[in-house]
Order: sequence, then structure tokens, then C-alpha cells
Amino acid sequence: MKIALVLVSGEIEKLQAASIIASVASTIGEVMIFATMDGLMAFKKDVVKNRAWKAGELGKSMLSANVPLFIDVLRNAKEVGNLKIYACGMIMDMLNLKKEDFVDVFDDVIGVSKFLEMIEDAKVLFI
Amino acid sequence: MSGERMIIDARGSYCPGPLMELIKAMKKVPVGEIVEVLSSDKSSAKDIPEWVRKAGHELVEVKEESGYWRIVVRKKK
Repeated sequence: MKIALVLVSGEIEKLQAASIIASVASTIGEVMIFATMDGLMAFKKDVVKNRAWKAGELGKSMLSANVPLFIDVLRNAKEVGNLKIYACGMIMDMLNLKKEDFVDVFDDVIGVSKFLEMIEDAKVLFI
Repeated sequence: MSGERMIIDARGSYCPGPLMELIKAMKKVPVGEIVEVLSSDKSSAKDIPEWVRKAGHELVEVKEESGYWRIVVRKKK
């Protein structure tokens, strides 16, 4: 099983759901996440530090309850399963951001062409 | 077989916590060994057996205790 997840949303509910699906899938098959748009910005160090994700009612209770957040879920999955996370180079160039501006979860910074090539035989989820 | 089984107490942890704890433990033990996971999360009690089947291990038992579930798995590969 090969799954690719395109993460475009910065909403905490979607980030949480994506991380849980990715982590379980990574223990059975191969998972690749491409974080772009707001889905990339969710990994910025200042956003993570201030827990400044977009959150609805459920998201707010998730943030105040002591549940492991998506970054920890993904880190854990990288240890246990087969998960690679890629940051979108286009957004980083546009906003003049470096890999160091983000929390340390990314395996590489890539573009759309590279990602498309990698996911050719994968099921794709767009979140 | 040693007769001793690894018991993972994941009570109080939400999905996918109990499953990920189980998987970590499964990686450590030799093939044929039994791992038990305790979970207070009902959805994990339903979902862990699905993972076990998909991953090709053996589900020995799912037992409801008072306020938690005991899921017993044998590593098959």
C-alpha cells in the first residue's frame, strides 16, 4: 500500500486527522506527505510554539485536552513506520523561508514535479 | 516460548496511541511471541484487530475488562 497525502489545510482538525491516518498507514505501507499552502505554514516554529492553528470548536477542545498533537503523531510515525514528509519549495521561496524556520519533521524540500513523480503509483488523499 | 508476555498499558491514551504503542512493542519481540495491549479507548479496541489482520499477525483475544479492553496479539512475521 502506497499513500500520498497532500496537506493544504492549516486547520488543526484536519492536521490531526491527516497525522492519524498517515501514522497508521505508515505501519502497513509507505506514506508520503507533501505539506503546502497553509498545511506547510502549520509547521512553522512560531505557529507551533504559540499553538496558533486555525481551530473550530472541536479543534479548541483538542488543543486544551492533553491529546498528542499532529507533529508528535507524525514524529512517532516516522520512528515506527515508513513515513516521509516533504515541504513545498514554492511556498518557501515565495515567502523567503528556510527549512530552519520550520519544526524538524521534513525529510526534504521538494517541488510539485518531484512529488508527482514520487506518487505515481500511490493513492492520493487531499486534505 | 518464554511464557512471559509483553504487556503494554495504553489506558488513557487516544487513537492512534494504543495502536502505535502496540506496533512499537511488536517490532521489539521475536516472531511467535505474544503482546498484550490494554486500552480504555473503545475505538482502538475495534480498530487494533483490523490492523492486526491487515499486518498479518494473529489476534488471540479481545476481552472487555472493567473499564478497558485487553487485546492479545501474536507476532506472526
